[in-house]
Amino acid sequence: MLKILLPSILLLPSTWLISPKYLWTTTLSYSLLIASASLMWLAAPAETGWSFLNCLMASDPVSTPLLVLTCWLLPLMILASQNHLMLEPTNRQRTFISLLISLQIFLILAFSATELIMFYIMFEATLIPTLIIITRWGNQMERLNAGTYFLFYTLAGSLPLLIALLLLQNSTGTLSFFTIPYLPLTCSDPWAHKIWWTACLLAFLVKMPLYGAHLWLPKAHVEPPIAGSMVLAAVLLKLGGYGMMRILIILDPISKELSYPFIILALWGVIMTGSICLRQTDLKALIAYSSVSHMGLVAAAILIQTPWAFTGALILMIAHGLTSSALFCLANTNYERTHSRTMLLARGLQTLLPLTAVWWFIATLANLALPPLPNLMGELMIITSLFKWSMWTLILTGLGTLITAGYSLYMFLTTQHGPIPNHLISINPPHSREHLLLTLHLLPLLLLILKPELLWGWSA
Amino acid sequence: MADYREAPLATRPKTLDPNEYFNLSPDYRRAEEERAALRANLKRQYQLQLNNPHRTELIEDPALTRWVYARANPYPHFRPTKKTSLLGVMFGVVPLFRPLCLLFALCFTDKFNHGPTCLMFIRY
Repeated sequence: MLKILLPSILLLPSTWLISPKYLWTTTLSYSLLIASASLMWLAAPAETGWSFLNCLMASDPVSTPLLVLTCWLLPLMILASQNHLMLEPTNRQRTFISLLISLQIFLILAFSATELIMFYIMFEATLIPTLIIITRWGNQMERLNAGTYFLFYTLAGSLPLLIALLLLQNSTGTLSFFTIPYLPLTCSDPWAHKIWWTACLLAFLVKMPLYGAHLWLPKAHVEPPIAGSMVLAAVLLKLGGYGMMRILIILDPISKELSYPFIILALWGVIMTGSICLRQTDLKALIAYSSVSHMGLVAAAILIQTPWAFTGALILMIAHGLTSSALFCLANTNYERTHSRTMLLARGLQTLLPLTAVWWFIATLANLALPPLPNLMGELMIITSLFKWSMWTLILTGLGTLITAGYSLYMFLTTQHGPIPNHLISINPPHSREHLLLTLHLLPLLLLILKPELLWGWSA
Repeated sequence: MADYREAPLATRPKTLDPNEYFNLSPDYRRAEEERAALRANLKRQYQLQLNNPHRTELIEDPALTRWVYARANPYPHFRPTKKTSLLGVMFGVVPLFRPLCLLFALCFTDKFNHGPTCLMFIRY
């Protein structure tokens, strides 16, 4: 564990000490090195136990894919931000990269935490660099609003979690993941038990996000620069899912009935946000709402707590992380050329930029869960386990899948087909950097078709 | 009438001029001319920018900017009317009661299979 954490921490002083000529190449290659070293976590024996143990950090089959995704994402973020930061003074570039690196450190600590309080502190700590990235480097004035919504929604959801965890610590004396599944957790007052249950889950439901508390997400995904959007969509939402998976172990047995309204809300959210996507004009907002839609499925799956549902949720989280991040990178290539997020202003790109159209095509197909990509595997496992739980959910999930296909195709057809815009003088061809970025996003996704056991979590 | 187009180099005869044919009032004709003048002005501005050889930036459409802003920021300008309240209730409040309906549905299908377990469930 320290093999990865110490190099990430030491990347921080490196950013400040390297000469500006080599800043981007060095940080990029260093973080790629860390990312390839993090693949060793996947080689751990796929049993249900913990591996790479020490007292404070460990990785198990659920957290390993998420850890690898986090480490993989840092070089991608650095690669993506290179263009729009080129014009800024060096110290600001260094600050931006330091924020990305500190985010990665907090995320590694969060996913490998073995104690609930450490997880909570890291969960909160990831908010700060993201907030700074959104409000300082965003492009429109709405970024201030976005930062406020993002910070206060997540904080308001997680303060009850702090109290719940402190209560738990008081009654059981420990919050370690190793011992908590075996502790007898009884609560005398049923009403207090219900409130404690809600307090535990609220933070993660807001972060996931659940449909009713999802208002922060479109704002927070649309306003930041590309690196902020990437990390938010790919990893920070999964932090909520991971937290829910961990904490549901201790929340039995009342979860069986109490989770009903949240499951229904999540499934309804899949359909509603999918329909909103069909009417969107802002490209990044469309991708943001599609994130809410996929995460709604994940939330519903995690709440029913069957082994297949957990597996499906984990696979969908990883696959969606890579796909969503790739789509945001593609939207950013559009934005850098037309300086507008409106979809109608950047049509007919297949004629103009055919190579980028290939990436658009693959990313769109991944978004609509085409077989044999892992997106489909995750969605299929979630839909089947939901069907076993209750057959009426099939209506909601089936409709949701249909609408997902609808808006993914809508996004593809609007940006790629159609008349070429008249008001642009020239559209720069794609840089090799952008091709590399999208390859690094979509290649892991395609490779995961061949070995999906890496993502199966506890069912492996 | 709408399909009639004059030959390329000919002029439209006076009796087929839309204003005469439909007997439009002079006020309407004046308004129409003003609107046409506004449209022509906008087109002229756009064409000047489009064909300017020294232009390096994008042509910005202020109407599009206002429209995008309006789509992205509805909350500060929201006003509760009958239509917006109805939509809010239909899509915001009613789905919150869906868990109850699902619970009822599950219970009704359970009643014929498992009998009393369902009622214990509701009382909890």
